Amino acid sequence: MDADAHSHEPRAPEPRSGRARAIGDVLLEVRNVTLRFGGVRALSDVSFDIKRGEIRAIIGPNGAGKSSMLNVINGFYQPQEGQIVFKGTPLKKMRPHFAATQGIARTFQNIALFKGMSTLDNVMTGRMLKMQASWFEQMLYVGRAKREEIEHRRFCEDIIDFLEIQAVRRTPVGKLPYGLQKRVELARALAAEPELLLLDEPMAGMNVEEKEDMCRFVLDVNEEFNTTVALIEHDMGVVMDISDRVVVLDYGELLADGTPDEVKADPEVIQAYLGVQHD
Amino acid sequence: MFYLETGQYKTSYAKDQQIFPLVQDRVGMVVILLVAFVAIPLLSSNYWLSTIMLPFLIYSLAAIGLNILTGYAGQLSLGTGGFMATGAFAAYKLTTAFPELHFVLVLILAGVITAFVGVLFGLPSLRIKGFYLAVATLAAQFFLVWLYNKNPWFTNYSASGVISAPPREVVPGVVVTGASGTPEAKYYFVLVLVVVLAWMAKNMARSKMGRAWMAIRDMDIAAEIIGIRPAATKLTAFAVSSFYIGIAGALWAFTYTGSVEALAFEINVSFDVLFMIIIGGLGTILGGFLGAAFIILFPIALNQSLLAMGLQNAIELASHLEFMIMGALIVTFLILEPHGLARLWQIFKQKLRTWPFPY
Ligand SMILES: Nc1ncnc2c1ncn2[C@@H]1O[C@H](COP(=O)(O)OP(=O)(O)OP(=O)(O)O)[C@@H](O)[C@H]1O
Ligand SMILES: [Mg+2]
Repeated sequence: MDADAHSHEPRAPEPRSGRARAIGDVLLEVRNVTLRFGGVRALSDVSFDIKRGEIRAIIGPNGAGKSSMLNVINGFYQPQEGQIVFKGTPLKKMRPHFAATQGIARTFQNIALFKGMSTLDNVMTGRMLKMQASWFEQMLYVGRAKREEIEHRRFCEDIIDFLEIQAVRRTPVGKLPYGLQKRVELARALAAEPELLLLDEPMAGMNVEEKEDMCRFVLDVNEEFNTTVALIEHDMGVVMDISDRVVVLDYGELLADGTPDEVKADPEVIQAYLGVQHD
Repeated sequence: MFYLETGQYKTSYAKDQQIFPLVQDRVGMVVILLVAFVAIPLLSSNYWLSTIMLPFLIYSLAAIGLNILTGYAGQLSLGTGGFMATGAFAAYKLTTAFPELHFVLVLILAGVITAFVGVLFGLPSLRIKGFYLAVATLAAQFFLVWLYNKNPWFTNYSASGVISAPPREVVPGVVVTGASGTPEAKYYFVLVLVVVLAWMAKNMARSKMGRAWMAIRDMDIAAEIIGIRPAATKLTAFAVSSFYIGIAGALWAFTYTGSVEALAFEINVSFDVLFMIIIGGLGTILGGFLGAAFIILFPIALNQSLLAMGLQNAIELASHLEFMIMGALIVTFLILEPHGLARLWQIFKQKLRTWPFPY
């Protein structure tokens, strides 16, 4: 792993320079966040920001607090100290529902799909907040209820085509293989047309081919819809290839923050993270 | 072969999203409605109409209601009997207090009252799940039946505690409740209500609301992150479910038995309706009908076949067999096919579609 990471060194400093994207102002800022579970400090005084349009990687050894970080960002965990600043507004408390209405969508480390529902229904559910029909219209299947079903169905079918899961459109997702489930989960998150997409190890447990597909999807989403992406990933090759900036966490502390090349060259990172992997 | 869908390309999402996207299914639905509205009243005796068809339709309605809560939203309930009793007594109190109120309106209001009671007893679902929730709803079941049984206000202080349902007209001259309603009138009245309510349930199930219920059932954490409010969604399921079950209870008392009594809605009713949705199919509207038909027709069929085999005094044997077979079926369906008979029917249709060339 170590050697592999170093072999990237001679490459162009900006491997994604060919891609037409505009990285803008700060979309979300994590300010001095500390999160404790009883005696365990999952995060201690962590600060970093995510800019509009970028792909931000969060890396670190197992138990470093990466998933906890995403959970804080979308309001699933409430930090004891610090705050999340979203679009310039500091939020005392982020709540999952509020995060969803603000355009933050995510996937989970251990897939959290609606197992009894078809791929299409999972994706349609992801689009929930875009639908306005009243319960009365839904009951009679008239007006907005009918219109929205058709209109949003079209959008969801486009996502399904984009992620190449048309063939399993009607299959209950519980019956799909792992790799496809990961894709359906991404599709469900995309259905919300998020501004910020949080991906918790989207390529874990995949073979090389599946990983390549997933990388392509993430890059395409970022490029075509200008969606900001924050992703956790263990595969250093992937991280170095697709991310603009990298946050390194270790034992809940922020160890380094910078471009892939900066981070890779950081002696502390090599010591704490890459070194650990090498053992 | 005759179930062939060749050439039926769905050219728009609107077409694909119809309840019955295939012509064969739509024809099938028309045939079923023709049978229900024309053939059955023509061919059945009054006895058959009032002792088989009425309870079948009313049980189907209750099963649709429970299926919304348990099959779609994943909240296990053993309070169905108590909620049916609530609907029956709400309708009784309303129609005796306001005799001029049209009976359909009485039914709707009874449903709304039951919905409120359902939401009240659904509150524990915000904190507890599964087995513990089932126990909480069981408490609702016993409490509600006890309440209506012991409190004379609900029976308008009648001495016996057993009250016959007052006659009510749906259109002038056509009585659909109590002893003076004809079986045909009652049958048509209940049939129209059940068809309309089932159609509405299907609409809710295929819309945003239904997907929110299923999302909460399958993975409440992920549902929340998508922007579904778990509390509101669960309570909506309790409300809609209880609305249906309340109307079923009112119809049971007013059209089927003709008397309003709490003891008609004991715990065994809750179990019967639960078995219907397990056998019929959890999370399907069709399953409510199939399950109700099965639970009502199966004991009759069993009795008849034992008689046909020459076992004259087989009543006891029949009831033992009934329990055993029913138990085995429930366990089998729970483990092997949670979507029940409704799913088997789909598989059968799938086979017909490709027959005789399965590949
Ligand atoms: N809900 C929780 N309750 C108690 N402790 C928790 C909880 N969630 C996380 N932790 C603890 O916080 C620390 C960080 O966990 P986290 O899941 O964020 O790590 P991670 O970096 O995502 O690790 P991995 O690479 O294994 O996914 C761990 O020590 C973990 O045990
Ligand atoms: Mg993690």
